[in-house]
Amino acid sequence: MTQSEAVAWIAQIFEMAPDQLTPDTHRDNVPAWDSLGILTLMANLDSDFGIVLTDEDIQAVKTVGDILDVMRRYGTFTSTSS
Amino acid sequence: MRFILVDNILELEPGKRIAASKVLPASEELFRDHFPGFPVVPGVILTEMMAQAAGRCLDAEGTHPGRAMLGKINGASFREWVKPDQEIRLHATITQNRPSFATAECFAEVEGKKVCSADLFFVFAPHERFAEGHQDEVLLTYWRNHPEKQPKAR
Repeated sequence: MTQSEAVAWIAQIFEMAPDQLTPDTHRDNVPAWDSLGILTLMANLDSDFGIVLTDEDIQAVKTVGDILDVMRRYGTFTSTSS
Repeated sequence: MRFILVDNILELEPGKRIAASKVLPASEELFRDHFPGFPVVPGVILTEMMAQAAGRCLDAEGTHPGRAMLGKINGASFREWVKPDQEIRLHATITQNRPSFATAECFAEVEGKKVCSADLFFVFAPHERFAEGHQDEVLLTYWRNHPEKQPKAR
């Protein structure tokens, strides 16, 4: 998976078009990144990639880039190029 | 109409799967409007039935920090009309079960034929939000009839 594909995956979790998100996008600027959105993200990281995060882990995630770091850390993608 | 859309739990593996039943009698007022001369159970009510069955499956574990509450309907299909007075068998399999969320694949059948299905996402509302001492009467009845299956209190 490339970074742009990972961003597209994140975009569909938060019901946005991929071009509306960048690694710098903060959660305050994503309407669906609310308490339900966080749980949806956790559930899909689990079901799609086997990544299980605790509530504490997810609270530290504040930007799209933070989500990408988590995915990279778990080996979901390695490329930084689009 | 009370909003308890499960009459009986037939089979239960807490946190894993449940089979339950519900009959909506023809006397329910909603059938006057849904639809005049052609009464059928609304799809949203069938979805709520499945959600309540799955929610009780999760609550039966007694390990979550709150009561299961429907958070998202990821998808639902309605294949056959369900008429008043028909016994609806509700089935839910818990596919993800975490402290802060759960997912379930559900379906309902009438006379052995699948009538609808839904892919549901649950969150957990803190126990203190609910009336103090409240216990679900459907689960209570099941535990009364199957005391050996009730998980031990932690």
